[in-house]
Amino acid sequence: MAEMRNEVTEETVGHGFLDVQRLETEEAIDPEVYRIIDQYVFKHPGGQEQLIPLLHRVQQYLGYLPFPVQEYVAGRLDLSPVEVYAVISFYHFFTTTPRGRYQLKVCMGTACFVNNAQTICDVVGDLSGLEVGGVTEDRLFSLEQVRCIGACGLAPALMVNDDAHGHLTPNAVRKLIRKLKSTARKEKNGNGGEASSEHKH
Amino acid sequence: MNTNTEFSPAVVRPLDREVMAAIRERVRPVIEERLVTRREPEPLRREVLVCHGGACISCRAVPVADLMEAAIDQAGLADQTRVVRVGCMGLCDAGPLVLVSPDGVYYPRVTEDLAHRIVNEHVSSGAVIEDAELTWEGPDGETLRSREVPFFARQLKIALRNCGVIDPGSLEEYIATDGYAALEKVLFEMTLDQVLAELKRSGLRGRGGAGFPVGLKWQFVHDAEGDVKYVVCNADEGDPGAFMDRSILEGDPYSVVEAMTIAGRIIGSKQGYVYVRAEYPLAIERLEASLENARSSGLLGEDILGSGFDFDLEIRIGAGAFVCGEETALMHSIEGKRGMPHPRPPFPAQKGLWKRPTLLNNVESWANISPILLRGAPWYASIGTARSKGTKVFALAGAIRNTGLVEVPMGISLREVVEDLGGGIRSGLPFKAAQSGGPSGGCVPAAEADVSVDYESLQELGAIMGSGGLIVMDETTCMVELARFFMDFIVDESCGKCPPCRIGNRVMLSILERITRGEGQEDDLDLLERLGEHIQLSSLCGLGQTGPNPVLSTLRHFREEYEIHVRERRCPAGQCRALLTYTITEDLCNGCHVCAKACPVDAISGEIKNVHLIDQEVCTHCGACLTACPTGAIEGK
Repeated sequence: MAEMRNEVTEETVGHGFLDVQRLETEEAIDPEVYRIIDQYVFKHPGGQEQLIPLLHRVQQYLGYLPFPVQEYVAGRLDLSPVEVYAVISFYHFFTTTPRGRYQLKVCMGTACFVNNAQTICDVVGDLSGLEVGGVTEDRLFSLEQVRCIGACGLAPALMVNDDAHGHLTPNAVRKLIRKLKSTARKEKNGNGGEASSEHKH
Repeated sequence: MNTNTEFSPAVVRPLDREVMAAIRERVRPVIEERLVTRREPEPLRREVLVCHGGACISCRAVPVADLMEAAIDQAGLADQTRVVRVGCMGLCDAGPLVLVSPDGVYYPRVTEDLAHRIVNEHVSSGAVIEDAELTWEGPDGETLRSREVPFFARQLKIALRNCGVIDPGSLEEYIATDGYAALEKVLFEMTLDQVLAELKRSGLRGRGGAGFPVGLKWQFVHDAEGDVKYVVCNADEGDPGAFMDRSILEGDPYSVVEAMTIAGRIIGSKQGYVYVRAEYPLAIERLEASLENARSSGLLGEDILGSGFDFDLEIRIGAGAFVCGEETALMHSIEGKRGMPHPRPPFPAQKGLWKRPTLLNNVESWANISPILLRGAPWYASIGTARSKGTKVFALAGAIRNTGLVEVPMGISLREVVEDLGGGIRSGLPFKAAQSGGPSGGCVPAAEADVSVDYESLQELGAIMGSGGLIVMDETTCMVELARFFMDFIVDESCGKCPPCRIGNRVMLSILERITRGEGQEDDLDLLERLGEHIQLSSLCGLGQTGPNPVLSTLRHFREEYEIHVRERRCPAGQCRALLTYTITEDLCNGCHVCAKACPVDAISGEIKNVHLIDQEVCTHCGACLTACPTGAIEGK
């Protein structure tokens, strides 16, 4: 549930929910999401029973569930915003903070656990500079521990977004993170135009 | 690529009994060929089955299958050979796994090179590639090949009958394996009472964990008053280490759809829900496709097979809450609420989903229904023990050699499952214990490994059958740390409604944490036991009531290990970091200085490119150097 907590800083102490809301919404929200919500509600009439499927749909599109969107969903399903927030805060899958471009999800199922998943998680944390539940400032990586991903034959395993990587060792993790970083760097340079000619080959 | 159009995956037309009979006659021989072992060293009509279970897909099974299709095409073999993408074959350790039929030859860990060889050598000319075939050393040193390997030979598949055999996307292939024959029987031949009597006589018990008799449950919901009733499939397989429900949904989704339709007919329901974990995207995708297909073929919806019976199914996706595997919590989640349990009674059979009578079974239970109705209760009841009938699917994981999925008759000994089917411990170290039933279950120590696998015998040992996750451990697993791991899970997943679970389990966790940190106190073990028993007695739902089980069962069987942690401040398994002494192995140290940089207390000294040294006086046992070392030179004992 770490993602639900916000950093308490001097500015936010004592401000509570409203300030959390302000912090979370500094980022502009893609207005397309409101159309997606409308479309969903039109196609799937019904009240509260449509809440969880709709939140899945929204998170699939935006990557997270910012507060203004929660309010909008509440209005569309004829619920109070707190009923929506209560559901979001209950389920691990929903998050109110944006995730990284590469979501590193270390499997903490029992099979991975007995195959030293904790070490893998520590190494990933060391390399990316992240605590579990955190996201790097450049939004390149976010780190989560997840429940059994069912790849027990590959233990210890780690998912990068939707791809599973198995039979990991600390060195394999180092290589993987290095590769992701260099892919991201190349892309960035490519967009900048300078290194793009080299990149195209 | 696939020129064989008679196996179009979709049957997009309303089916009737005649059409289904024709499909069976036409397609059944093809499926039967996949089950035989008939080595014919010549080119002939072959099928290459590529496992597309979750584990194999993460080992690149999809590109391997694509490549083989292309190679078959290129070799001009497309008219006599095709690639079939089947569900989980079970032996996850060997992924990507390929079966060539009718030769019955398994190829494990198929690389791109091997894929080419399979097409160019085996498929084209019939020559089995013996050095790549799956083999196993028999008890007398003989070489066992493919299906003779105990992992396959010792299984009895009922719930998994179609997994790894048919294309899960093909309704035709499902029908060909007697799919929907049970529904036909229920709709046109049997009376409701006959069906209920048959299920009760079969002795089938719920496979989700509690083991409640399935027939009795159906009877209760059938007898409950109300014009609106619901059928629910619990596919919220939350136990870490259990993946049989996922494999059934991925490998044979129609078996669940058919069984739920049958239940709808029996209890008088028109609407069902399948509640699937969000962590199983592939299962959701295949289930969705099968619902769509069943609907357009007249096997779901109005007037199913012209019988006048209406029934439909919807999928509800979970959102990552272990407690939603508990039936009352699951129903709240379907209703779109926080998944918090409520006290029973009222039971779901009286007041379930939206306060209507609701029949809830887990995936594996559903998968057993059709075979029982087709082959009869006496056949099913002849398998297993006096009180535990039929088979059980186990997910083997942990320190075992053959990780994967096996289905075995009840009453088999745990030792046979671990040593014969599982192939024993991968590391070669002694077998220490097996944990069954996940966070609600307990441990069976190696000394008790001859226990019969059935509901009662496991319970006597303080373990449970549970959903069938079996984590096998060798001597490198610390049982205190394992108990802490499960307790951490329970605390994280507790919904917070009742204090015994919310607070009690939290207190147990903090005691376990201090024991693993080397700060345990003499009376901690008694305190854990007392607390655990209170939580078991006073919690609201199954999660809280069973939460202390892993602690109590490890305390019962491995008390000595706890005592060593408390009294000697030592971890015999070498897993509790705070209790280890770290040393640098000279031969492996390359003097990169990474460990010294990682050490928060500057306990490591050494010149770059020279062997480093840890000052034991300064070391705080945090283990940071262990994870930092790129050459594995640091050892903790």
